Amino acid sequence: MEMLATVIGVVIKSVIFIVGMFLAAAYLTLIERKFAGHVQQRPGPLHVGYHGLLQPIADALKVLTKEDLVPNNVDKVLFYLASLMAFVPAIMILAVVPFGDPFTIFGIEIKPFITDLNIGLILALAFGSISIYGVIFAGWASNSKYPMIGGLRKAAVLIGYEVALGFAMVGPIMMAGSFSLREIVQAQEGFFGAFIWYQPIAFIVILFAILAETGRTPFDVQEAEAELVSGYNTEYSGMKFGLFPLAEWYIGTFVLSAIAVILFFGGWKGPHIFGVLSPFIWFFLKVFMMFMFFLWVHWTLPRYRVDQITEIAWKVMLPLSLLNIFITAIIIIVKG
Amino acid sequence: MVKLKYVERPKLSLLEKLLFLDFIKGLKVTFKNLIRKTITTKYPYEKLTPPKRFRGTHAHRVKDGNEPPSFSVLEKFMDINTGESRCVACYMCQQACPMPSLFRIEAVQLPNGKKKVVRFDMNLLNCLYCGLCVDACPVDCLIMTDIYETAKYQRESCVIHMDDMSERGKDFDRRRLKEPDRIWIDDQERIKLWGQIKWS
Repeated sequence: MEMLATVIGVVIKSVIFIVGMFLAAAYLTLIERKFAGHVQQRPGPLHVGYHGLLQPIADALKVLTKEDLVPNNVDKVLFYLASLMAFVPAIMILAVVPFGDPFTIFGIEIKPFITDLNIGLILALAFGSISIYGVIFAGWASNSKYPMIGGLRKAAVLIGYEVALGFAMVGPIMMAGSFSLREIVQAQEGFFGAFIWYQPIAFIVILFAILAETGRTPFDVQEAEAELVSGYNTEYSGMKFGLFPLAEWYIGTFVLSAIAVILFFGGWKGPHIFGVLSPFIWFFLKVFMMFMFFLWVHWTLPRYRVDQITEIAWKVMLPLSLLNIFITAIIIIVKG
Repeated sequence: MVKLKYVERPKLSLLEKLLFLDFIKGLKVTFKNLIRKTITTKYPYEKLTPPKRFRGTHAHRVKDGNEPPSFSVLEKFMDINTGESRCVACYMCQQACPMPSLFRIEAVQLPNGKKKVVRFDMNLLNCLYCGLCVDACPVDCLIMTDIYETAKYQRESCVIHMDDMSERGKDFDRRRLKEPDRIWIDDQERIKLWGQIKWS
Protein backbone atom coordinates (compact mmCIF):
# COMPACT_ATOMS: atom_id res chain seq x y z
CA MET A 1 0.00 0.00 0.00
CA GLU A 2 2.78 2.36 0.92
CA MET A 3 4.54 1.34 -2.27
CA LEU A 4 1.46 2.23 -4.29
CA ALA A 5 1.18 5.62 -2.59
CA THR A 6 4.81 6.35 -3.39
CA VAL A 7 4.35 5.35 -7.03
CA ILE A 8 1.22 7.46 -7.38
CA GLY A 9 2.95 10.39 -5.71
CA VAL A 10 5.94 10.15 -8.02
CA VAL A 11 3.72 9.83 -11.09
CA ILE A 12 1.69 12.89 -10.10
CA LYS A 13 4.83 14.86 -9.41
CA SER A 14 6.38 13.79 -12.73
CA VAL A 15 3.29 14.84 -14.62
CA ILE A 16 3.30 18.19 -12.85
CA PHE A 17 6.99 18.66 -13.59
CA ILE A 18 6.68 17.71 -17.27
CA VAL A 19 3.58 19.81 -17.92
CA GLY A 20 5.04 22.69 -15.94
CA MET A 21 8.29 22.45 -17.87
CA PHE A 22 6.41 22.41 -21.19
CA LEU A 23 4.48 25.55 -20.27
CA ALA A 24 7.59 27.19 -18.84
CA ALA A 25 9.55 26.37 -22.00
CA ALA A 26 6.75 27.83 -24.13
CA TYR A 27 6.90 31.06 -22.20
CA LEU A 28 10.70 31.06 -22.15
CA THR A 29 10.46 31.33 -25.94
CA LEU A 30 8.41 34.48 -25.46
CA ILE A 31 10.94 35.86 -22.98
CA GLU A 32 13.77 35.13 -25.37
CA ARG A 33 11.97 36.76 -28.29
CA LYS A 34 11.14 39.82 -26.25
CA PHE A 35 14.71 40.05 -24.99
CA ALA A 36 16.21 39.58 -28.44
CA GLY A 37 13.83 42.17 -29.82
CA HIS A 38 14.65 44.81 -27.28
CA VAL A 39 18.38 44.23 -27.63
CA GLN A 40 17.90 45.08 -31.32
CA GLN A 41 15.58 47.98 -30.47
CA ARG A 42 12.42 46.32 -31.73
CA PRO A 43 9.54 45.29 -29.49
CA GLY A 44 9.27 41.58 -30.34
CA PRO A 45 5.89 39.78 -30.40
CA LEU A 46 3.22 42.39 -29.79
CA HIS A 47 -0.14 41.59 -31.29
CA VAL A 48 -1.25 38.16 -30.06
CA GLY A 49 -2.59 38.99 -26.64
CA TYR A 50 -1.32 41.79 -24.46
CA HIS A 51 2.28 42.42 -25.58
CA GLY A 52 2.33 38.98 -27.21
CA LEU A 53 1.37 37.02 -24.10
CA LEU A 54 -0.55 34.43 -26.15
CA GLN A 55 2.16 34.15 -28.80
CA PRO A 56 3.59 30.84 -27.45
CA ILE A 57 0.15 29.24 -27.71
CA ALA A 58 -0.25 30.48 -31.27
CA ASP A 59 3.22 29.16 -32.07
CA ALA A 60 2.44 25.78 -30.56
CA LEU A 61 -0.78 25.52 -32.58
CA LYS A 62 1.07 26.49 -35.72
CA VAL A 63 3.89 24.01 -35.19
CA LEU A 64 1.48 21.19 -34.30
CA THR A 65 -0.70 21.69 -37.36
CA LYS A 66 2.18 21.95 -39.82
CA GLU A 67 2.69 19.16 -42.30
CA ASP A 68 5.06 16.60 -40.86
CA LEU A 69 7.37 16.03 -43.78
CA VAL A 70 9.82 13.11 -43.80
CA PRO A 71 12.23 13.16 -46.75
CA ASN A 72 12.56 9.93 -48.77
CA ASN A 73 16.19 9.14 -48.23
CA VAL A 74 16.47 9.60 -44.49
CA ASP A 75 17.25 6.85 -42.01
CA LYS A 76 13.68 6.57 -40.75
CA VAL A 77 14.36 5.05 -37.33
CA LEU A 78 17.09 7.49 -36.35
CA PHE A 79 15.20 10.38 -37.90
CA TYR A 80 12.21 9.80 -35.65
CA LEU A 81 14.39 8.89 -32.69
CA ALA A 82 16.58 11.98 -32.90
CA SER A 83 14.01 14.56 -31.86
CA LEU A 84 12.95 12.37 -28.94
CA MET A 85 16.57 11.72 -28.03
CA ALA A 86 17.13 15.45 -27.82
CA PHE A 87 13.96 16.18 -25.90
CA VAL A 88 13.38 13.37 -23.39
CA PRO A 89 16.78 13.31 -21.65
CA ALA A 90 16.75 17.11 -21.41
CA ILE A 91 13.49 17.01 -19.49
CA MET A 92 14.61 13.96 -17.47
CA ILE A 93 17.33 15.99 -15.77
CA LEU A 94 14.44 17.53 -13.82
CA ALA A 95 14.06 14.21 -11.99
CA VAL A 96 17.06 14.98 -9.82
CA VAL A 97 16.65 18.75 -9.48
CA PRO A 98 15.33 19.64 -6.02
CA PHE A 99 13.12 22.72 -5.80
CA GLY A 100 13.06 23.01 -2.03
CA ASP A 101 13.05 21.26 1.32
CA PRO A 102 10.23 18.83 2.13
CA PHE A 103 7.28 20.64 3.71
CA THR A 104 3.89 19.68 5.12
CA ILE A 105 0.50 20.82 3.88
CA PHE A 106 -2.76 19.41 5.40
CA GLY A 107 -0.78 16.74 7.20
CA ILE A 108 0.79 15.36 4.02
CA GLU A 109 4.53 15.63 3.65
CA ILE A 110 5.34 16.92 0.17
CA LYS A 111 8.81 16.58 -1.27
CA PRO A 112 9.32 19.15 -4.06
CA PHE A 113 11.64 16.84 -5.98
CA ILE A 114 11.07 13.53 -7.74
CA THR A 115 14.05 11.57 -6.47
CA ASP A 116 16.96 12.42 -4.22
CA LEU A 117 19.60 10.18 -5.72
CA ASN A 118 23.00 10.04 -4.13
CA ILE A 119 24.48 10.29 -7.64
CA GLY A 120 22.11 13.02 -8.82
CA LEU A 121 24.77 15.22 -10.35
CA ILE A 122 26.26 12.38 -12.37
CA LEU A 123 22.80 11.46 -13.58
CA ALA A 124 22.22 15.05 -14.70
CA LEU A 125 25.55 15.05 -16.53
CA ALA A 126 24.74 11.74 -18.20
CA PHE A 127 21.30 12.86 -19.38
CA GLY A 128 22.79 16.10 -20.64
CA SER A 129 25.24 14.11 -22.74
CA ILE A 130 22.58 11.73 -24.05
CA SER A 131 20.59 14.76 -25.14
CA ILE A 132 23.46 15.66 -27.46
CA TYR A 133 23.02 12.32 -29.25
CA GLY A 134 19.75 13.71 -30.56
CA VAL A 135 21.67 16.39 -32.40
CA ILE A 136 24.24 13.96 -33.75
CA PHE A 137 21.57 11.42 -34.80
CA ALA A 138 19.60 14.16 -36.51
CA GLY A 139 22.69 15.20 -38.41
CA TRP A 140 23.43 11.65 -39.51
CA ALA A 141 19.89 10.47 -40.22
CA SER A 142 18.93 13.47 -42.36
CA ASN A 143 21.19 12.24 -45.19
CA SER A 144 21.95 15.79 -46.23
CA LYS A 145 25.14 17.81 -46.14
CA TYR A 146 24.25 20.70 -43.85
CA PRO A 147 22.73 18.60 -41.06
CA MET A 148 25.69 16.27 -41.38
CA ILE A 149 28.17 19.11 -40.90
CA GLY A 150 26.13 20.44 -38.00
CA GLY A 151 25.98 17.09 -36.26
CA LEU A 152 29.69 16.47 -36.72
CA ARG A 153 30.52 19.92 -35.39
CA LYS A 154 28.44 19.25 -32.30
CA ALA A 155 30.22 15.94 -31.84
CA ALA A 156 33.59 17.69 -32.10
CA VAL A 157 32.59 20.32 -29.58
CA LEU A 158 31.04 17.72 -27.27
CA ILE A 159 34.39 15.98 -26.76
CA GLY A 160 35.93 19.25 -25.65
CA TYR A 161 33.46 20.67 -23.18
CA GLU A 162 32.21 17.46 -21.55
CA VAL A 163 35.61 16.80 -19.97
CA ALA A 164 35.93 20.34 -18.64
CA LEU A 165 32.34 20.28 -17.37
CA GLY A 166 32.86 17.04 -15.48
CA PHE A 167 36.07 18.23 -13.86
CA ALA A 168 34.65 21.66 -13.00
CA MET A 169 31.77 20.05 -11.12
CA VAL A 170 34.26 18.22 -8.93
CA GLY A 171 35.08 21.42 -7.00
CA PRO A 172 31.61 21.98 -5.47
CA ILE A 173 31.24 18.22 -5.00
CA MET A 174 34.45 18.12 -2.95
CA MET A 175 33.32 21.03 -0.82
CA ALA A 176 29.89 19.49 -0.20
CA GLY A 177 31.19 15.95 0.12
CA SER A 178 28.24 14.54 -1.83
CA PHE A 179 26.87 13.99 -5.33
CA SER A 180 23.32 14.54 -4.17
CA LEU A 181 22.04 17.92 -5.33
CA ARG A 182 20.01 18.32 -2.14
CA GLU A 183 23.03 17.79 0.07
CA ILE A 184 25.09 20.19 -2.05
CA VAL A 185 22.47 22.87 -1.38
CA GLN A 186 22.39 22.06 2.30
CA ALA A 187 26.18 22.44 2.47
CA GLN A 188 25.83 26.12 1.46
CA GLU A 189 24.78 28.11 4.49
CA GLY A 190 24.07 31.82 4.36
CA PHE A 191 25.08 34.45 1.84
CA PHE A 192 28.82 33.84 2.09
CA GLY A 193 28.35 30.11 2.23
CA ALA A 194 27.40 29.96 -1.45
CA PHE A 195 30.06 28.11 -3.42
CA ILE A 196 30.43 30.94 -5.93
CA TRP A 197 32.71 32.70 -3.44
CA TYR A 198 34.99 29.66 -3.18
CA GLN A 199 34.78 28.28 -6.70
CA PRO A 200 34.79 31.20 -9.15
CA ILE A 201 37.02 29.33 -11.62
CA ALA A 202 34.73 26.32 -11.64
CA PHE A 203 31.79 28.67 -12.19
CA ILE A 204 33.39 30.21 -15.28
CA VAL A 205 34.22 26.79 -16.69
CA ILE A 206 30.64 25.63 -16.09
CA LEU A 207 29.26 28.75 -17.76
CA PHE A 208 31.39 27.93 -20.78
CA ALA A 209 30.28 24.30 -20.75
CA ILE A 210 26.58 25.13 -20.41
CA LEU A 211 26.77 27.58 -23.31
CA ALA A 212 28.47 24.90 -25.39
CA GLU A 213 26.09 22.12 -24.34
CA THR A 214 22.92 24.06 -25.04
CA GLY A 215 24.32 25.44 -28.29
CA ARG A 216 23.76 29.07 -27.38
CA THR A 217 25.40 31.66 -29.45
CA PRO A 218 29.07 31.96 -28.84
CA PHE A 219 29.14 28.19 -29.40
CA ASP A 220 26.14 27.56 -31.64
CA VAL A 221 28.28 25.86 -34.28
CA GLN A 222 25.77 23.07 -34.82
CA GLU A 223 23.11 25.29 -36.31
CA ALA A 224 25.17 28.28 -37.43
CA GLU A 225 22.41 29.75 -39.56
CA ALA A 226 24.77 31.89 -41.59
CA GLU A 227 26.87 28.95 -42.72
CA LEU A 228 24.72 25.81 -42.46
CA VAL A 229 21.14 26.47 -43.48
CA SER A 230 19.70 25.61 -40.12
CA GLY A 231 22.27 23.07 -39.04
CA TYR A 232 21.23 19.68 -37.78
CA ASN A 233 17.48 20.32 -37.99
CA THR A 234 17.38 21.50 -41.62
CA GLU A 235 15.41 18.47 -42.83
CA TYR A 236 12.90 18.50 -39.98
CA SER A 237 9.45 20.01 -40.02
CA GLY A 238 6.40 20.28 -37.81
CA MET A 239 6.64 19.34 -34.17
CA LYS A 240 9.69 17.14 -34.77
CA PHE A 241 11.48 20.37 -35.63
CA GLY A 242 9.85 22.26 -32.77
CA LEU A 243 11.20 19.83 -30.20
CA PHE A 244 14.83 20.61 -31.03
CA PRO A 245 14.99 24.29 -30.09
CA LEU A 246 12.58 23.59 -27.23
CA ALA A 247 14.90 20.92 -25.86
CA GLU A 248 18.19 22.64 -26.52
CA TRP A 249 17.60 26.34 -26.10
CA TYR A 250 14.88 26.39 -23.47
CA ILE A 251 14.56 23.20 -21.44
CA GLY A 252 18.29 22.46 -21.65
CA THR A 253 19.32 25.96 -20.70
CA PHE A 254 16.71 26.19 -17.97
CA VAL A 255 17.60 22.87 -16.37
CA LEU A 256 21.32 23.43 -16.59
CA SER A 257 20.82 26.91 -15.12
CA ALA A 258 19.01 25.20 -12.28
CA ILE A 259 21.97 22.89 -11.77
CA ALA A 260 24.41 25.81 -11.87
CA VAL A 261 22.25 27.64 -9.33
CA ILE A 262 22.24 24.60 -7.07
CA LEU A 263 25.99 24.17 -7.36
CA PHE A 264 27.01 27.78 -6.88
CA PHE A 265 24.19 30.00 -5.61
CA GLY A 266 22.74 27.93 -2.79
CA GLY A 267 19.68 26.59 -4.60
CA TRP A 268 16.48 27.55 -2.81
CA LYS A 269 18.25 29.15 0.16
CA GLY A 270 17.43 32.78 0.82
CA PRO A 271 15.84 35.05 3.42
CA HIS A 272 12.35 33.86 4.43
CA ILE A 273 10.53 36.95 3.26
CA PHE A 274 7.86 35.33 1.09
CA GLY A 275 6.45 32.98 3.74
CA VAL A 276 5.85 29.35 2.82
CA LEU A 277 6.64 29.88 -0.87
CA SER A 278 9.98 31.50 -0.08
CA PRO A 279 12.22 28.59 -1.23
CA PHE A 280 10.42 28.24 -4.55
CA ILE A 281 10.47 31.93 -5.22
CA TRP A 282 14.17 32.19 -4.43
CA PHE A 283 14.98 29.17 -6.54
CA PHE A 284 13.03 30.29 -9.57
CA LEU A 285 14.31 33.84 -9.21
CA LYS A 286 17.89 32.62 -9.24
CA VAL A 287 17.29 30.25 -12.16
CA PHE A 288 15.53 33.01 -14.05
CA MET A 289 18.42 35.42 -13.48
CA MET A 290 20.82 32.74 -14.68
CA PHE A 291 18.66 32.10 -17.76
CA MET A 292 18.54 35.81 -18.51
CA PHE A 293 22.31 35.93 -18.23
CA PHE A 294 22.58 33.20 -20.86
CA LEU A 295 20.18 35.13 -23.08
CA TRP A 296 22.26 38.24 -22.57
CA VAL A 297 25.44 36.45 -23.61
CA HIS A 298 23.61 34.83 -26.52
CA TRP A 299 22.48 38.12 -27.99
CA THR A 300 25.84 39.80 -27.45
CA LEU A 301 28.65 37.61 -28.68
CA PRO A 302 29.51 36.47 -32.20
CA ARG A 303 30.05 32.81 -33.06
CA TYR A 304 33.30 30.98 -32.40
CA ARG A 305 34.81 28.51 -34.84
CA VAL A 306 34.84 24.82 -33.95
CA ASP A 307 38.63 24.75 -33.67
CA GLN A 308 38.53 27.78 -31.39
CA ILE A 309 35.97 26.14 -29.11
CA THR A 310 37.90 22.89 -28.85
CA GLU A 311 41.08 24.88 -28.30
CA ILE A 312 39.51 26.86 -25.45
CA ALA A 313 38.02 23.70 -24.00
CA TRP A 314 41.21 21.65 -24.03
CA LYS A 315 43.87 24.31 -23.54
CA VAL A 316 42.16 26.75 -21.17
CA MET A 317 39.10 25.31 -19.49
CA LEU A 318 40.41 21.80 -18.76
CA PRO A 319 43.67 23.01 -17.10
CA LEU A 320 41.68 25.63 -15.20
CA SER A 321 39.26 23.05 -13.82
CA LEU A 322 42.13 20.71 -12.91
CA LEU A 323 43.88 23.62 -11.17
CA ASN A 324 40.63 24.35 -9.36
CA ILE A 325 40.42 20.75 -8.11
CA PHE A 326 44.05 20.90 -6.97
CA ILE A 327 43.62 24.15 -5.04
CA THR A 328 40.33 23.01 -3.51
CA ALA A 329 41.89 19.73 -2.42
CA ILE A 330 44.87 21.49 -0.77
CA ILE A 331 42.60 23.94 1.06
CA ILE A 332 40.34 21.12 2.26
CA ILE A 333 43.36 19.16 3.51
CA VAL A 334 44.89 22.19 5.24
CA LYS A 335 41.63 23.29 6.86
CA GLY A 336 40.70 19.74 7.70
CA MET B 1 51.04 39.87 -58.47
CA VAL B 2 48.96 41.15 -55.64
CA LYS B 3 50.85 42.50 -52.70
CA LEU B 4 49.43 41.27 -49.44
CA LYS B 5 49.78 43.26 -46.29
CA TYR B 6 49.60 41.32 -43.09
CA VAL B 7 48.26 43.13 -40.07
CA GLU B 8 48.90 41.77 -36.60
CA ARG B 9 45.83 41.62 -34.43
CA PRO B 10 46.29 43.60 -31.24
CA LYS B 11 47.20 41.26 -28.42
CA LEU B 12 45.05 41.25 -25.30
CA SER B 13 46.71 42.23 -22.08
CA LEU B 14 46.75 39.76 -19.20
CA LEU B 15 44.12 41.71 -17.27
CA GLU B 16 41.82 41.69 -20.28
CA LYS B 17 42.31 37.95 -20.67
CA LEU B 18 41.65 37.16 -17.02
CA LEU B 19 38.61 39.34 -16.44
CA PHE B 20 36.95 38.95 -19.89
CA LEU B 21 36.99 42.74 -20.29
CA ASP B 22 36.05 42.52 -23.97
CA PHE B 23 33.03 40.37 -23.15
CA ILE B 24 31.97 42.84 -20.49
CA LYS B 25 32.25 45.71 -22.97
CA GLY B 26 30.00 43.83 -25.37
CA LEU B 27 27.51 42.97 -22.65
CA LYS B 28 27.42 46.65 -21.70
CA VAL B 29 26.51 47.63 -25.26
CA THR B 30 23.66 45.12 -25.46
CA PHE B 31 22.35 46.17 -22.08
CA LYS B 32 22.35 49.83 -23.12
CA ASN B 33 20.33 48.90 -26.19
CA LEU B 34 18.00 46.74 -24.11
CA ILE B 35 16.81 49.66 -22.04
CA ARG B 36 16.57 52.07 -24.95
CA LYS B 37 13.24 52.86 -26.54
CA THR B 38 12.30 50.79 -29.56
CA ILE B 39 12.48 52.61 -32.88
CA THR B 40 10.08 50.48 -34.87
CA THR B 41 6.77 51.47 -36.42
CA LYS B 42 3.84 49.16 -35.71
CA TYR B 43 3.05 49.08 -39.39
CA PRO B 44 -0.56 48.20 -40.02
CA TYR B 45 -1.58 50.43 -37.10
CA GLU B 46 0.93 53.24 -37.51
CA LYS B 47 1.95 54.46 -40.93
CA LEU B 48 4.87 56.74 -41.61
CA THR B 49 4.42 59.56 -44.08
CA PRO B 50 7.19 59.05 -46.63
CA PRO B 51 9.41 61.90 -47.75
CA LYS B 52 8.02 64.23 -50.38
CA ARG B 53 10.53 62.90 -52.90
CA PHE B 54 9.38 59.32 -52.31
CA ARG B 55 8.91 57.34 -55.50
CA GLY B 56 5.52 55.75 -55.06
CA THR B 57 2.54 55.21 -57.33
CA HIS B 58 2.43 57.53 -60.34
CA ALA B 59 0.05 60.43 -60.73
CA HIS B 60 -0.74 63.22 -63.18
CA ARG B 61 -0.64 66.87 -62.27
CA VAL B 62 -3.69 68.73 -63.57
CA LYS B 63 -4.02 72.05 -65.36
CA ASP B 64 -4.38 74.46 -62.44
CA GLY B 65 -2.36 77.54 -63.27
CA ASN B 66 0.96 76.38 -61.86
CA GLU B 67 2.23 74.98 -65.12
CA PRO B 68 5.85 75.47 -66.26
CA PRO B 69 6.44 77.77 -69.26
CA SER B 70 6.84 74.81 -71.59
CA PHE B 71 3.21 73.96 -71.05
CA SER B 72 1.94 77.35 -72.18
CA VAL B 73 3.79 76.85 -75.47
CA LEU B 74 2.06 73.55 -76.08
CA GLU B 75 -1.27 74.52 -74.57
CA LYS B 76 -2.72 76.13 -77.67
CA PHE B 77 -2.42 72.86 -79.60
CA MET B 78 -4.11 70.85 -76.87
CA ASP B 79 -7.71 70.30 -75.83
CA ILE B 80 -7.29 70.44 -72.04
CA ASN B 81 -9.76 72.03 -69.63
CA THR B 82 -8.82 73.28 -66.19
CA GLY B 83 -8.79 70.41 -63.73
CA GLU B 84 -7.86 67.82 -66.33
CA SER B 85 -4.55 66.05 -66.70
CA ARG B 86 -1.98 68.30 -68.33
CA CYS B 87 -0.46 65.41 -70.30
CA VAL B 88 0.41 66.41 -73.85
CA ALA B 89 1.12 62.84 -75.10
CA CYS B 90 4.70 63.60 -76.07
CA TYR B 91 5.79 60.00 -75.30
CA MET B 92 8.91 61.28 -73.52
CA CYS B 93 8.11 59.12 -70.50
CA GLN B 94 7.86 56.05 -72.68
CA GLN B 95 11.16 56.95 -74.36
CA ALA B 96 12.90 57.29 -71.02
CA CYS B 97 11.41 54.16 -69.53
CA PRO B 98 13.66 51.08 -69.23
CA MET B 99 10.55 48.96 -69.85
CA PRO B 100 8.69 51.01 -72.48
CA SER B 101 5.92 48.48 -73.01
CA LEU B 102 4.36 49.30 -69.67
CA PHE B 103 2.97 52.54 -71.16
CA ARG B 104 -0.15 52.63 -73.33
CA ILE B 105 -0.55 56.22 -74.53
CA GLU B 106 -3.00 57.21 -77.24
CA ALA B 107 -3.99 60.65 -78.53
CA VAL B 108 -6.46 61.68 -81.24
CA GLN B 109 -6.94 64.80 -83.31
CA LEU B 110 -10.27 66.48 -82.73
CA PRO B 111 -12.24 68.01 -85.67
CA ASN B 112 -11.09 71.50 -84.58
CA GLY B 113 -7.48 70.41 -85.06
CA LYS B 114 -6.55 70.15 -81.41
CA LYS B 115 -4.91 67.12 -79.84
CA LYS B 116 -6.63 65.18 -77.09
CA VAL B 117 -5.08 62.48 -74.94
CA VAL B 118 -7.59 59.64 -74.73
CA ARG B 119 -5.53 57.02 -73.01
CA PHE B 120 -2.64 57.00 -70.60
CA ASP B 121 -2.30 53.59 -68.94
CA MET B 122 0.63 52.30 -67.00
CA ASN B 123 1.09 48.65 -66.06
CA LEU B 124 2.75 49.06 -62.67
CA LEU B 125 3.49 45.34 -62.46
CA ASN B 126 6.38 46.00 -64.83
CA CYS B 127 7.42 49.28 -63.26
CA LEU B 128 10.63 49.43 -61.27
CA TYR B 129 9.93 52.89 -59.84
CA CYS B 130 13.17 54.39 -61.11
CA GLY B 131 11.59 57.78 -61.74
CA LEU B 132 13.14 58.34 -65.18
CA CYS B 133 9.69 59.03 -66.66
CA VAL B 134 9.15 61.78 -64.11
CA ASP B 135 12.46 63.41 -65.05
CA ALA B 136 11.60 63.19 -68.72
CA CYS B 137 8.18 64.85 -68.51
CA PRO B 138 8.49 68.29 -70.19
CA VAL B 139 5.31 69.76 -68.69
CA ASP B 140 5.78 68.54 -65.10
CA CYS B 141 2.73 66.34 -65.51
CA LEU B 142 3.81 62.84 -64.56
CA ILE B 143 4.88 62.72 -60.92
CA MET B 144 5.38 60.07 -58.29
CA THR B 145 3.39 60.28 -55.09
CA ASP B 146 3.99 59.07 -51.57
CA ILE B 147 1.58 56.12 -51.90
CA TYR B 148 3.49 52.92 -51.23
CA GLU B 149 0.75 50.35 -50.60
CA THR B 150 0.44 49.03 -54.15
CA ALA B 151 -0.73 45.48 -53.47
CA LYS B 152 -3.89 44.49 -55.29
CA TYR B 153 -6.12 41.43 -55.46
CA GLN B 154 -6.20 41.24 -59.26
CA ARG B 155 -3.39 41.73 -61.70
CA GLU B 156 -5.69 43.94 -63.80
CA SER B 157 -6.04 46.33 -60.86
CA CYS B 158 -2.33 47.12 -61.07
CA VAL B 159 -2.87 48.98 -64.37
CA ILE B 160 -3.50 52.65 -63.58
CA HIS B 161 -5.45 54.95 -65.89
CA MET B 162 -5.42 58.64 -66.65
CA ASP B 163 -8.51 59.54 -64.59
CA ASP B 164 -7.37 58.02 -61.33
CA MET B 165 -3.87 59.36 -61.94
CA SER B 166 -5.13 62.94 -62.18
CA GLU B 167 -7.30 62.39 -59.09
CA ARG B 168 -4.23 61.11 -57.24
CA GLY B 169 -2.21 64.06 -58.50
CA LYS B 170 -4.80 66.54 -57.23
CA ASP B 171 -4.85 64.79 -53.88
CA PHE B 172 -1.05 64.71 -53.64
CA ASP B 173 -0.67 68.39 -54.53
CA ARG B 174 -3.36 69.34 -52.03
CA ARG B 175 -1.52 67.46 -49.30
CA ARG B 176 2.12 68.08 -50.02
CA LEU B 177 2.72 70.77 -52.66
CA LYS B 178 3.63 73.50 -50.19
CA GLU B 179 5.69 71.25 -47.96
CA PRO B 180 9.41 72.06 -47.61
CA ASP B 181 11.78 69.48 -49.03
CA ARG B 182 12.85 67.42 -46.06
CA ILE B 183 13.37 63.74 -45.41
CA TRP B 184 10.91 62.85 -42.69
CA ILE B 185 8.21 64.87 -41.02
CA ASP B 186 9.82 64.29 -37.65
CA ASP B 187 13.40 64.98 -38.76
CA GLN B 188 14.23 66.86 -35.58
CA GLU B 189 13.20 63.94 -33.33
CA ARG B 190 15.06 61.50 -35.53
CA ILE B 191 18.23 63.56 -35.25
CA LYS B 192 17.89 63.32 -31.49
CA LEU B 193 17.44 59.56 -31.78
CA TRP B 194 20.13 58.76 -34.32
CA GLY B 195 22.54 61.68 -34.05
CA GLN B 196 23.69 63.78 -36.94
CA ILE B 197 26.70 63.54 -39.21
CA LYS B 198 29.10 66.46 -38.86
CA TRP B 199 30.03 67.74 -42.32
CA SER B 200 33.55 69.12 -42.53
